Amino acid sequence: MTPTLPADLVLMLLADARLPTAGHTQSAGLEPAVTHGLQSAEVADYIALRLRTVTRVEAATAVVALHHVRQGLPLDDVETAWAARTPSAALRATSRSMARAMLRVVRRLWPDDPSVRALAPGVSRAVVLAAVADACGLAPVALARLVGYDDVQTVASAALKLLPLDPADVSAWVLDALPLVDRLALEVAPLTLPGSIPASGAPQIEAWAESHAATTRRLFSA
Amino acid sequence: MPETPTTADRALRIGICGPVGTGKSSLIAMLCGELASTLRLAVITNDIYTDEDARYLRSAGVLEPERIRAVETGACPHTAIRDDITANLLAVDQLEEDFAPLDIVMVESGGDNLTATFSPALVDTQIFIIDVAGGGDVARKGGPGITRADLLIVNKTDLAPYVGVDPVLMVADASEVRDGRPVIALSRGDRASVTALTDWVQTQLVAHRSGILVPADPGPMAPHSHDDGTLHVHHEGDDAHQHAHS
Repeated sequence: MTPTLPADLVLMLLADARLPTAGHTQSAGLEPAVTHGLQSAEVADYIALRLRTVTRVEAATAVVALHHVRQGLPLDDVETAWAARTPSAALRATSRSMARAMLRVVRRLWPDDPSVRALAPGVSRAVVLAAVADACGLAPVALARLVGYDDVQTVASAALKLLPLDPADVSAWVLDALPLVDRLALEVAPLTLPGSIPASGAPQIEAWAESHAATTRRLFSA
Repeated sequence: MPETPTTADRALRIGICGPVGTGKSSLIAMLCGELASTLRLAVITNDIYTDEDARYLRSAGVLEPERIRAVETGACPHTAIRDDITANLLAVDQLEEDFAPLDIVMVESGGDNLTATFSPALVDTQIFIIDVAGGGDVARKGGPGITRADLLIVNKTDLAPYVGVDPVLMVADASEVRDGRPVIALSRGDRASVTALTDWVQTQLVAHRSGILVPADPGPMAPHSHDDGTLHVHHEGDDAHQHAHS
């Protein structure tokens, strides 16, 4: 535990793209979406769509995992519930690979935290974030906001690499998405049961993720 | 912390860095061709589009295709070898796990500018490569890789007459800014130069295994610090500058 640190400072650290977690390798599915015809004017809608679907699954999983960590309950059921709601093998592989990247720095930052130490190899990113939230004393709603915000910024920064955009316009889209992030966080924050994690996948995003994993010409890992 | 128990137990990690088109992939293909019969090798590439370089190396047939892996950099090749080495470190770890034991893992940077160098947390030793076709003044212009990489290669010396560059002068310029660090004028047709390169690699491997190879940081342009509290600026022709960079 690092109880003396204010939650907002911890959130800044965790949400900062400069935290070395290989965030620059991720487009949150935007690259295959653009490959399949998504236009600049549709990026804001894409962000909102993710917050209603795949990101909602991840945020809810993180919150339920945090509850399990804090209650000393096993995480296997949470992991299984997440996997069942993430039908794309490519998306699951991406989450686990991002989890490994996150784990590397998390183990350096909170080496003695029991929740961090207990993490098994191969866990999903949501479960790693839950352990970090426990280590930092974050509330469930803050953890959910972190998941949502990170997803929005991942799409936004990848959009600048993939599409002809003014960075200031993209920042405005991020600002516009913040109320959606907050609504998502407030909705999933009370969840405690694996079965209550919403099954809100997005078949098109999942199909694009699958095709992206099979291509050999890509800028972003996923 | 389980942070790299003793690095001598794992493979030597060699970084290969330098501007686009200077011959990074060809250098790796050459090293594989020369060393693969006696050493267990693997390669990580960091291309703009995932696997151009990996495909080139696989098609060169110098190494089993599965020992050559590509890492995506999200159009940030500089970041992937310097500010956030996570994706590369995970890929190196995975290769070492899949093909244990390995002797050498080579990490090829995405073609970048003269300022890109590897973090010493990613590679144990690094080669910076420039070529005569880039112009005779490149070595004199300097930059962290040219002045302080563990090895500087001036490549394609066989092309020198065609591009109006004096390779002897270019190597002399390079040597002058490098405080005695090695420079090799390389041409694939020049057997002696190839041997000089493989000898250097073998020397690094011996140093790595004996635990005396300390990764050196080419560092920023200037000034730079030496982790011992000293901070200074390099000047052109600063011949008195003879300390060890560690």
